[in-house]
Formats: sequence, structure tokens, C-alpha cells
Amino acid sequence: MRTPIRFALLLLTTVVIQRFLFDQFRVDGVAADALLVIAVATGMVGGARQGAILGFASGLCLDLLVVTPFGLGALSYLVAGALGGLLEGVVVHSAVWITLLVAFVASSAGVLFFALLGSLIGAVGLVGGHLITVTFLVGCSSAVLVLPTRRVVRWVLAGSDDHRTAIHP
Amino acid sequence: MAPRRSTGRSRSTVILLILTAVTLLTLGGRGFGPLDSARAAVSSAVSPVGSAARWVFSPFSDAWKAAFDQGDLERRNAELVEENDRLRGEVTQGSVATQQLQELLQLVGIPFVGDTPVVHTRVISGTVGNFGDTIELDKGSTSGVLAGMPVITGRGLIGRVKIVAEDRCTVELITGGSFRVGFLVIGTSAVGVAEGVGRPSILRGTNIDVAQSVEDGQIAVTAGLRGSSFPPNIPIGTVRSVRAEETTRQKLVDIEMFASTRDLTYADVVLWNPVG
Repeated sequence: MRTPIRFALLLLTTVVIQRFLFDQFRVDGVAADALLVIAVATGMVGGARQGAILGFASGLCLDLLVVTPFGLGALSYLVAGALGGLLEGVVVHSAVWITLLVAFVASSAGVLFFALLGSLIGAVGLVGGHLITVTFLVGCSSAVLVLPTRRVVRWVLAGSDDHRTAIHP
Repeated sequence: MAPRRSTGRSRSTVILLILTAVTLLTLGGRGFGPLDSARAAVSSAVSPVGSAARWVFSPFSDAWKAAFDQGDLERRNAELVEENDRLRGEVTQGSVATQQLQELLQLVGIPFVGDTPVVHTRVISGTVGNFGDTIELDKGSTSGVLAGMPVITGRGLIGRVKIVAEDRCTVELITGGSFRVGFLVIGTSAVGVAEGVGRPSILRGTNIDVAQSVEDGQIAVTAGLRGSSFPPNIPIGTVRSVRAEETTRQKLVDIEMFASTRDLTYADVVLWNPVG
């Protein structure tokens, strides 16, 4: 029962950090995406299922804060979280940079999925020259943030079944 | 057997979540009202936390801006000083021209947007995340702001109100391309539809009758046709690069916006109710 409460706390804190801290620090107009990072980090720590669940929840939080089509964030971050878990399960971890690479790839995939699906359903301005910059910078920032975020996620998941399965499959 | 059961549970959970997200997308696409209400409720709920968080984080963000935007600020300051001098001279000319325009519009029975009341607001935050051009203003329903009202700066149209909470509202910027606005090219009877293309200051104008004479440098304002969400005569921008499309019998133009949608500090909500 403690895990869902910790998840909720993590989400609330992340929303505040994203809204009032990360959105202020932009490089070339691009901000780090804390909600995406926790989705990917949860997938990497707890497996694809947990990544999908938290990705869905964090994407839903994003949907409540922006005016892009409702549900787009939930679906995209779900994909990113699940992908983080799947990649973590198949790569052999011999160095820290592989962890960073997994975060980069999963986050970039989440951003691309968001923009492409959004365009497919009629949202304008998501796909353009700037998308490459956004994808790259969000991927990089996720790679930087994933290591400390994984520590927080481990605390959140401590004691849950999925965490034990992910560590000892 | 346990791993197989676990895999099956994972798959069904993920499928259920995907279906839920797709359902939300469908409901959102059909304009399901409670979703906007939920957004407004979250905006209201986050605002008290936001004031405290903004106070805590402001030294960091100020330091970041000072470190990375110093050159920009100096350049903008010089531009603003120059512009201020020029505008002082134009104020006198402007007031005379406004009076003349009001008299002319009155003669042909067109309402003058200068008479429509506005709510002065301060921009309290920009876009959340990296997609969706929005800003948040510090006035909401208690000040008379309603969803759909146009938002302008001193230079012209920048967007319309999308979500309204009690003491704040979220504005979708016209550059984001999420809505269209009918425009009229001054000095002609050419009307068209303008929408954002995801670029900071350029709109694309379409649906102009190919027979109409539209030239580079002409001014586009909101058309305010019957049923329009916008009042007439709000300045939009200057017409650039006119192209004729013979197959669709229409002209396409780029419109370079007068108002900047970047680094906004203040904006006005026009209390315009298209129904009334």
C-alpha cells in the first residue's frame, strides 16, 4: 500500500519541479522533461510494466498541464516507460554509459512518438526542424538526470513485487 | 508458471492502459467538456503551490537567465529605448488616426475594437514542457475572462483563451496552429483564414479568392465575420510572399505577425463574446 502513495508523492513533486523549475531553464527553447525521466527511470528499475504504469500516470499529469490533445502525453510516456524497461532487460550492463544510452533512447522515442502521433491526429506544429533539437536535448537531459532519478524510484518501488521481479527475474 | 502469469498480467495491464489513453484521445478530440474542466481544476490547484515554488526557484532561474540571456537583454534594451522614442512621436499621430478610423467605421456600421473592454493581465508562465504554444495569465473567471476570448498585446493578436480557472487562464498562442482566425486584408475585400505553422512569428494565410489582388506589405486584420470568435480589426500582421494556386483557385500568403509571442510580460484579454 505504501508504493502507490510514494508514486503519488513522486508524481506531485515532479509536476512542481517541471512546472516551476525545469521549464525556466531552457537551452534553445528546450526544457528537460522530468515527467518523462521518471517514466523511463521507473521502467529501468521496475521493468516494462511499472514503466508503462508510471509513464501513463506522468503523461496524464502532463496532459492536465498543456493544451495538446488530451491522452497524447499518457500514451507517449507509457511507450517511453515500457521501452525503458524492455531495453534495460535486453542490454548487458557493463558500464554506466549504457544506462545513460538507454535513457537517451527511451526518452527520445517518447518525444518522437508524442510529436508524430500528435501530427497524425491533427495537432499542428509538433513536427518540424525543431523536433530534432527537442528530441536530442530532451534525450541528453534525460541521460543526465536518470542516475539520480533511479535512486528515487528505487525508494518508491522498494518492497513492491515488480521491483523484486526486475532485480531477480 | 509464475513468470508466465506475470508476463500475462503485464501484457493485459499495458493493453488496458493503451486503450484508456486512446479513449481519452478520442474524447478529447470530440471536445469532451469534463477534460477541460479537469485542466482548469488542476490549474487552480497548482497555483498556490506555484506561488511558493516560484519564490523558492526564482533565484536559480534569474541566475540562469542572467548567465545565458545577458547579450539578448542588452540588445533588447537598446531596441526598446529606440522604439520608445519613436512611439512617443507616433502617439500623437495615432490618436488623430484612431479618431478618423472610428468616424469612418461608424459611417459604414462596423464596430471598433478599441471600444471593446479588455482585462489587463500579467504573463505568469510560459509553455509547460516542449510542445504546445501556451502562456498562463494571472486573471481568470472572476475578472470576466471566458474560454475563447481573444488575447492581444499592444501590437496585435497573439492567441485566445483556452482554459479558465478562477484566478488564472491558459492561452493558446496563434503560432501553435491549434486554431484558425479569419482575416481581412486592409484596402481590399480579400478575406482568408490564418493559422500558425509552429514558427515563432509567421502565420499561413489560405482560402483567399485567387481573383483578389493581394500584395506583399499589405496589412491583415481580423475579419470579424458573422459567427467569428474574434472581433473585427484586431491587427494580425503584414502580408509576405503571395502565391497563387490555380488548381484550388486560391491565394496563399505568409503573414508576419506584428506581435511577438516570445518573452511576453503583459497581455490583454479582450472581453469579446461572439454570441452577444
